[in-house]
Amino acid sequence: MVTENRGKSSRMEVDVGGITFKNPVLTASGTFAYGIEFAHLMDLNSIGGIVVKGISMKPIAGNAPPRIYETSSGMLNAIGWQNIGAREFVENKLPALRKYDTRIVVNVVGFSLEEYLEVIRFLNDHPGIAALELNISCPNVKHGGFHFNKDPRDTFKVTSKARKASRRIPLWVKLSPNVTDIRVFARACEDAGADAISAINTLVGMAVDVQKRRSRLRFVTGGLSGPAIKPVALRMVWEAAREVKIPVIGIGGIASTEDALEFLVAGARAVQVGTANFYNPAASQRIVEGLAEHCRSHKIKDINDIVGSLRI
Amino acid sequence: MLDRIVKVTEVKDLGAANALLTLRSPEQARLAHPGQFLMVKCCEDLNENPLLRRPFSIFAVRTHRRTGSPVGLEILVKDVGSGTHKLVQIRRGQELAVLGPQGRPFQLSEDTANEVRFACLIAGGVGIAAMYLLAGRLLSLGVTPVLFYGARGAEELVLREYFERFGIQTAYTTEDGSFGERGLVTAPLARFLKKHRRDRMRIYACGPWAMMRAVHLQALRHGVPCEVSLEARMGCSLGACMGCVVRAQGNPDAPEYLRVCLEGPVMSSRVINWDVPPL
Repeated sequence: MVTENRGKSSRMEVDVGGITFKNPVLTASGTFAYGIEFAHLMDLNSIGGIVVKGISMKPIAGNAPPRIYETSSGMLNAIGWQNIGAREFVENKLPALRKYDTRIVVNVVGFSLEEYLEVIRFLNDHPGIAALELNISCPNVKHGGFHFNKDPRDTFKVTSKARKASRRIPLWVKLSPNVTDIRVFARACEDAGADAISAINTLVGMAVDVQKRRSRLRFVTGGLSGPAIKPVALRMVWEAAREVKIPVIGIGGIASTEDALEFLVAGARAVQVGTANFYNPAASQRIVEGLAEHCRSHKIKDINDIVGSLRI
Repeated sequence: MLDRIVKVTEVKDLGAANALLTLRSPEQARLAHPGQFLMVKCCEDLNENPLLRRPFSIFAVRTHRRTGSPVGLEILVKDVGSGTHKLVQIRRGQELAVLGPQGRPFQLSEDTANEVRFACLIAGGVGIAAMYLLAGRLLSLGVTPVLFYGARGAEELVLREYFERFGIQTAYTTEDGSFGERGLVTAPLARFLKKHRRDRMRIYACGPWAMMRAVHLQALRHGVPCEVSLEARMGCSLGACMGCVVRAQGNPDAPEYLRVCLEGPVMSSRVINWDVPPL
């Protein structure tokens, strides 16, 4: 049955907003540090891209602990954007990361519109970055950019200004699931000129220690991630992909090849592996291998043939 | 650091919900330093709940009976939650994903022998897990370790015999008075610190936050350098999730956080802000 396709490998490249990725598997921001930390646990050259931890212009210390708590099939986090700052990133992390044959996407964060634009302009002056991912959907900072993801008019405004500030590098917008209708926000991004949409960020959640009658997290609420959110993420990616023409990158509880395939079928052009990196550091590489094997065994010549192939 | 699927070759029930697991992994055993830890998946399937691996101090390195080369690692597991509950039920012959050795070890060098005469090892409960490799290493350097080991009751003072086999001085305390001195482990430590010259002394502690804080304050008062092995909820042990932080000493208006997995688990007690417990 497989003889016909023996020896031929399927085409795995995908185009996301004008940038070609060698395969549709990336690692999600905040789950893969600055990439190089995983270099001795997997082959970084095997994956399509790495979305590095959210970067602000100035370093951010983050929230007081406890910051994480495991829940059924997932985890809550309230890290609060702890990061080394853009300057330190381009000087001390980017050069080492650029040596690998994979695309580097930088997730950008800020407490105000001006801070977003500042870090975007700064990163545009540095070669080696394939795309920027505008993070307006983190629920774990009190005065952060999350308010840009509460009213689609604000999403339009920040996206449009960010798009103009990013003269050289394509701009993706990472959207929150904590909205009534993600399609409205996806549309705002497309109308404002975004090159792609990443969906979804974490769902706001909570866990309580009944002995102490305190939240398990110092920040009280946190973002839920992991396999627990996959069905919600899948539905939202499907909705967004039907709403807009720009590519949608699927994120949310992807831990296996089958998970990744589900997102592609639902309409995602690429996927990001997140929480799974924590307990299986080579998860993204395994998924790349699994996708290639799936295409081979199902005689799929081009992975793009799967994208949005959901039958209804 | 290595990520390996390793076989559990022995599970010893120590009572009081404690188990000592032996993991066969010569490669990882060769790399282990006192104070380092392993990040262990608590069930055989990586995608099964609980998802996140759990951190365990490397209690001991098993060596080959004849050649003496490292063949395995031992970890102390106490059943305190969903992860450890599954792990204590693991049977001999099962396989687990084990990442490590992870983290910054106790800072020991050949010079330690010249600089240090006495090393006070303070363990609270399962904190004993960080002390055995350390005691062995100190002895090989020519330093005299003294163990101060406290727990709630006698049954929780597990693995005492390992230290007694070294023939080192020990002081035990229990909160219920069922073994050793009644009270907290910091009491015999305080007496020891008063009685001995402190210029060539070191303190190493691992246990509950409140215990380590009290030990840190004694060390500070007597001017004795003190290293602690910290515990925190940990997501990845790779410095990626930023979950396992403790607050650093410094400006309260501009807090800084240190990751227990990378900047620790062993840190000088003086770099930590003891007013902000991480759990």
